[in-house]
Amino acid sequence: MAEFAYEPEPELRLAPGESIREISGRSPWAIAGRRLVRNRIAMAALALFVVIVVLSFLAPVYAHHIAHTDPFVSNLSGTTEVDGKQVEVIQQGGAGLGLGETPIGPTWHANYFLGADQQGRDVMARLFYGGRASLIVGVGSAVICSLAALLLALIAGFFRGWSDTVLSRIMDLIWAFPVYLLAISLSTVLLTTPGGVKLGPITLNASSLWTPTLIIALIYIPYVFRPVRGQVLSVREKEYVEAGVSQGASSLRLMISEILPNVVSTVIVLLPLMIATTVLTEAALSFLSIGVQPPNASWGTIIGDGQELLYTRPWVAIAPGIMIVLTVLSLNVLGDGVRDALDPRAKVRVRE
Amino acid sequence: MLAFVVRRIIGLVVVLFAITVLVFLIFFSTPGIDPSARLAGRNPSPATVAAVKHEFGLDRPLPVRYALMMKRLFISRDLVSYGNQALLVVPAIWAAAPVTFSLVIGAAVLWFVMSILLGLIAVTFKGTVADPIIMILALIGISMPVFWLGEVVNLITQDRLHDTFLFSWVPPLGYTPLTEDPWQWFLHLIFPWITLSILYIGFYARVLRADLLENESADYVRTARAKGLSPKRVLLKHMLRNSLITFVSLAGLDLGVLIGGGALLTEVVFGLPGVGRLTYNALLSLDLPVIMATVIYGAFFITIMSAVIDIVYARLDPRIRPT
Amino acid sequence: MKRWYVGFSFALLGLALVAAGCGGGGSNKNSTTTAASSGGAKGGILETVAAAAPSGSPDPQVNYTLQEWQWLIFTHDGLIAFKRTGGSEGTKKVPDLVTSIPKPTNDGKTWTFTLRKGIKFSNGETLTGADVKATFERLFKIGNSPNAGTWYNVIEGADACIKTPKTCTLNKGVVVNGNKVTFNLTTADPEWLDKLAVPFAFILPKDTPDTNVNIPPPGTGPYKWVQYSPTKQMKVVRNTFFKEWSKDAQPAGNPDEIVQKFGLQPEAQVTAVEQNQADWMFDQPPADRLGELSTKYADRVHVNPLTAVWYFAFNTRIPPFNNLKARQGVNYATDRNALVKIYGGPKLAVPTCQILPPNFPGYVAYCPYTKNPGSGKWTAPDLQKAKQLIEQSGTKGASVKVNTTTNTVDKNLGLYFVGLLKSLGYKATLQALSPDIQYPYAQNSNNKPQFAYSSWYQDYPAASDFLNILLGCGSFHPGSNSSPNIAEFCNQNLQAKMDQAGATGITDPAAANKLWASVDKGVTDQAPWVSMFNPKYIDVLSSRVKGYQFSPQWYFLLAQASVK
Repeated sequence: MAEFAYEPEPELRLAPGESIREISGRSPWAIAGRRLVRNRIAMAALALFVVIVVLSFLAPVYAHHIAHTDPFVSNLSGTTEVDGKQVEVIQQGGAGLGLGETPIGPTWHANYFLGADQQGRDVMARLFYGGRASLIVGVGSAVICSLAALLLALIAGFFRGWSDTVLSRIMDLIWAFPVYLLAISLSTVLLTTPGGVKLGPITLNASSLWTPTLIIALIYIPYVFRPVRGQVLSVREKEYVEAGVSQGASSLRLMISEILPNVVSTVIVLLPLMIATTVLTEAALSFLSIGVQPPNASWGTIIGDGQELLYTRPWVAIAPGIMIVLTVLSLNVLGDGVRDALDPRAKVRVRE
Repeated sequence: MLAFVVRRIIGLVVVLFAITVLVFLIFFSTPGIDPSARLAGRNPSPATVAAVKHEFGLDRPLPVRYALMMKRLFISRDLVSYGNQALLVVPAIWAAAPVTFSLVIGAAVLWFVMSILLGLIAVTFKGTVADPIIMILALIGISMPVFWLGEVVNLITQDRLHDTFLFSWVPPLGYTPLTEDPWQWFLHLIFPWITLSILYIGFYARVLRADLLENESADYVRTARAKGLSPKRVLLKHMLRNSLITFVSLAGLDLGVLIGGGALLTEVVFGLPGVGRLTYNALLSLDLPVIMATVIYGAFFITIMSAVIDIVYARLDPRIRPT
Repeated sequence: MKRWYVGFSFALLGLALVAAGCGGGGSNKNSTTTAASSGGAKGGILETVAAAAPSGSPDPQVNYTLQEWQWLIFTHDGLIAFKRTGGSEGTKKVPDLVTSIPKPTNDGKTWTFTLRKGIKFSNGETLTGADVKATFERLFKIGNSPNAGTWYNVIEGADACIKTPKTCTLNKGVVVNGNKVTFNLTTADPEWLDKLAVPFAFILPKDTPDTNVNIPPPGTGPYKWVQYSPTKQMKVVRNTFFKEWSKDAQPAGNPDEIVQKFGLQPEAQVTAVEQNQADWMFDQPPADRLGELSTKYADRVHVNPLTAVWYFAFNTRIPPFNNLKARQGVNYATDRNALVKIYGGPKLAVPTCQILPPNFPGYVAYCPYTKNPGSGKWTAPDLQKAKQLIEQSGTKGASVKVNTTTNTVDKNLGLYFVGLLKSLGYKATLQALSPDIQYPYAQNSNNKPQFAYSSWYQDYPAASDFLNILLGCGSFHPGSNSSPNIAEFCNQNLQAKMDQAGATGITDPAAANKLWASVDKGVTDQAPWVSMFNPKYIDVLSSRVKGYQFSPQWYFLLAQASVK
């Protein structure tokens, strides 16, 4: 496979508008940090992302104190107050043949702000909780994936030869493997194994968020592996590494002290973009009922719930979609900013 | 070159073998999966179930079952679906492939044109407010889940605004073959094309823009400018060609994935009977023969396109050697 | 995903009395019989849509889906038929390929029929007794007919056929003498005529191959199959050799062609039918279209009750629900109105507490699990009694997995019960599996399902079809994916009563029905299930379709509607 190499020049380039005075004497990380902070659009994106995260983790506060509802309990026969009147949360079709039951639509007030879903639950409250699950799975899987890919890429790139071939081909295999089949099968296995599957301290069962997290992490390892491996290869050829080898330094020490620092920036650049990708993937899997499982809610499951309500109560499907767009957008913009900060003219190519 | 091709073909076969074995193992280790009860119809007697099991070779050891399935798939090509015994798997894929091709190639044309256009505009108007706006719009495009976008598009065109002049021409969801009625074929595919391409336009516009900017300071560009060529000519004739290298190589890979059935959610949401939808239905009903066939089909295209792109990239950029 | 799975488990209907009729709301108060379509303009193509092809093999002796059965009735004939008309008349049995319905002799073990003369298959061959014999032998020869071993094993010689199918001969069981065909059964069977009237026993030409066919073979009905392509469509056209011999049993159809295109999701199907691009949709409309269907398109929508039941089965052999009080407690706590709401409202489903559906032989309204029982109707949950019973059972705190499918309605029903069980003190979690997996999974006792969703649409009008098949001791096969008694219920006293009712039915159906009613009551008291509701069926038609009839057996009688 042609290698898309990441080639940071050892000498730092100037970002547009920067002067030598500003960067002289500072460490590369400080310079990068400074550039990032100065990038107003990226900072705005970061702020948006932080706001979304904070709001999601405030879900219990919203549900308890503002909406006064438990969004995980069915409320099929309940009532609520709208415009001073008590109305049923799920209303029978009135006109004509009277078929069907429709949940109430958005009230734009504290209770049922965005309306109810087919179980009579408060959509807005579920939206917050859904954000929590989507972000936990998204960020968790991106971090796990990046760490695993980093480790594997170090091994493959540094030792080359046999380990490189085997690992690269395994990565090819994972990449060409049908994602949905893997997810469906794993979900089914975990759903039907009594007590769940134990992996050390973690128990994987239907209601654990670890399940979709690990599945998604596994799927995207090749995605991070390739650019990082290319980077490891290129750094490995540098003179100081060869110097280290000739001095008799051990492989492990070389990996950690010389190669790793130069490779970490690749991973950091990829991280926001990975989170964006994993959030989208989690939404797709949950939408198909093979990601996050009830009773947990995620933005993807809420969109799935909203499918059957699309023609009458479109907000149930539209609202989580908007949240996903905002989250992923902020991560993409932030990712751009991080890349510009670490090297304004980096040639890393990232595939969606 | 020959060595490269041979190596990649061997790699393809190995990957296909490994994937099919994995799919097979995963399938048969999923609990509740035994297809004999399903194949035997509703509430069959135990004797019927045993008979069906034997007929489908499901009581043989795993390697034998695998070999039987591969034989039926490749050699006698009479592999039958677990869900409907009148459904021959290979012809079903042949019939579904043109739909997927129609969807993907149409979307690709749209996204190529639009992203090149947007990339060029962004570069030409660099420094003005148009540049970041285009880039943000592009980013919004790639931030949307495709199934959600498709549902929203359907909601608007099929229901909410269907009765207005804007969308009354939109036909109901589904697919009409090109050979049957080209106009209907086109109408049915317009919104699927738009939905699918929105996801990629943003990304590729940015890729092109980044490459164009990088090439701006290249020597040959400075020479061309010094010679007095108009900026537009420089841009279109010289820079664009060189900047399309990355664009083309990445697009090739994405196309491979899409043709291989990656557009499955788009096909499902818009009711297009392509390979993606076949895969989706087979996965949900755990129909192993169809899953196997679609997995092979998909892996084949992905791997082939990946090899093709490596060759193309090597041709275009002599600094890179394909491995 | 989609409700095609319902089609998979659909089958014949029984003595449904109430047909809501055209354009009416689904009121149960009055029974209106729809006017039989007499004539109606002939010609045109009836265009229908469905999400997917009928699952399983298209072979008429194997297929067990309503979707295909609705078609087989106008392409093939059996010796007996259910009257092809709407309303309660549609449950009467009339002679089809035979001249009259005889009385059995030899203590009910011998049935002699006289075949009509001059009936031709769609390939021009004339129907003879040899075709009848070959058809019944083929039932065993093809090896995977689901009910060969359970329904048709009453034919003499069938046991040997089940053992060695390939060499099956029924020389003793089906005797042909000119145009007389005599069936010799091993025991008297009160359901024999019903079994002759279902597509498994529709007569095929004797030269039909012994292996599953990919398209139904030629038949004697007014239409013949010309296309069966599971990814595209199925199509029938007129059988030019058909001459109507009995309007009641097999009327000549109205359309010239009938087509069913596959691949459209239900949402898209509704849009297509509303815009008259299709005449009828096989799948049920999704919940969010019911509003517009009720108002804008009310004159094209028909709602009819079904003799079917939706339920969750307890596993009566493992904790916590091997405890009777626990089961009864959950039944008392269940708010069946909420469940009806999930299904689509009281116009689409009626709550039930018992096993048999209304208007069924042996049905007597009975509901103990409500506030103020006694009327036979469910009114409201009795939470106090429920909590009391669960306390007494000592099962509080147990973990329960609620098993259901990933279809929206089924999942929502499951979620309701997860909440309910939690509020009753159990540790409940949801286990939602793909519909294809869930059904065999729930049946297999090795998977230890504790509380599993299922539904049953009956095969023919006999109480045993519900009680014996779903709750009889002989229907529980441990460790098998095909064990319809999901509750693993076996009560010797009640089983003895069931056997007695079956035997009585041969000579005295009325007395048998009384026995079945008491079995129903007894089983309900043992609470092997939480019976939820009896659903109704929605037909949506285009504006040009006339002559709609809903038969309790075959639902919408496609061939008898007209599009001109």
